[in-house]
Amino acid sequence: MSRAFGPLISPAQLAEHLGAPNLVVLEVNERPLVYNQGHIRGAHNVDWHVDLQDPVLRDVPGAAALRALWSRVGITRASDVVLYGDQHNWYAAYGYWLFRMFGLKRLAILDGGRQAWLQADLPKDRDIPAAVSSTPPNPKLDPSLRASARDVVALVRAGGNLVDVRSAAEYRGDIIAEPGYLQEGAQRAGHIPGATHFPWELAIADDGRFQGPDRLRELLRGRGLDEGAPAISYCRIGERSAHTWFVLSELLGMRDVRNYDGSWSEWGSMVGLPVVKGPEAGALPGSVPSLEAA
Amino acid sequence: MIPEPPSPDGAIPAIREELARVRAAMQRIEAALTLLENGPEPERPARARTRPDRYYLVLLGVYERGRQGVDSEQFGRLGAEHGYDRRGLGGYFVGARASLRRDGDRIHLTAEGLALIDEYLEAAQA
Repeated sequence: MSRAFGPLISPAQLAEHLGAPNLVVLEVNERPLVYNQGHIRGAHNVDWHVDLQDPVLRDVPGAAALRALWSRVGITRASDVVLYGDQHNWYAAYGYWLFRMFGLKRLAILDGGRQAWLQADLPKDRDIPAAVSSTPPNPKLDPSLRASARDVVALVRAGGNLVDVRSAAEYRGDIIAEPGYLQEGAQRAGHIPGATHFPWELAIADDGRFQGPDRLRELLRGRGLDEGAPAISYCRIGERSAHTWFVLSELLGMRDVRNYDGSWSEWGSMVGLPVVKGPEAGALPGSVPSLEAA
Repeated sequence: MIPEPPSPDGAIPAIREELARVRAAMQRIEAALTLLENGPEPERPARARTRPDRYYLVLLGVYERGRQGVDSEQFGRLGAEHGYDRRGLGGYFVGARASLRRDGDRIHLTAEGLALIDEYLEAAQA
């Protein structure tokens, strides 16, 4: 693989490089068991419930757990890591964001994800690769890629882009979570005051791949988002917002883009935080006492 | 026990690796302790498949085509791949627990359809 690597790789490019010595391919699905129906040869299954979350806290995994994962799938300092998955790469993008936040540089997402691989009629494999024991780099958290609820308030006050990437019904507060996602509930429905609605799927073309940069910029402008300003994306639990983080930060090269992984399941459940219902962005009240110093 | 490092140069990575293993083990122990303290979760019976494999495979085919769903033409082809006549596919849309729904010219999975996919995947795993 050439030294220029990522942030996207096409199915044809990946197929051509399968088996390259430094290539690590990881499948990260919303439904991890889909991997067993066939996967890209040599791809390791990464279960986001287990591998990409702390097992006890609601938090990203600790550096030690992440290092153990990287070792298990064979990541070294020289690795080129490709992530792909179902649902247009929701969780692959979450994995990309997480790995980037912990310092991995040579990362790519398979454009179109698992769906594109299957549609291209590229071969599927059912053999499960053995766990590896590599010496990976030491994960070191870069907090600048992650936003807290406090960061969200500060960004809105400063006029940055707060991007709600959920469905229109979730944004308006008609529903808390889409059918089939009851476990991702919150106590209240609606959106964060000041959030612009930019559903994640706007970034996806009809063939399931990412839109090109010109089209993405046009879409951003159409929603009134400022490419030159800092941005925070959020959804319900932080995976669709990682997808939009990937678009803004990695595909468009916007600076200072963060993922609010607490997202609506945190904001919509915290006592005293302001919520807007309806299609308008709304505005933060004069103060949010629980998140701002008096 | 910390393994003997191969050389002074290799000592730091070797110790870090060992430390990572210890921390991962601590996390597993912590999770196991939490489980013990809270009591075991009630045993969930393995889901039994209630329909023929091909019924689930059509749903899985829709799932594998992503959130945009499929159009009628793609759905017909998907059904045919699994031995369904086009006229035999209407059952997916019928009833309060329909597994698929039409949204304009697109066909999407319902929550019930997603649950059936989970049922199939779990049974295939068992």
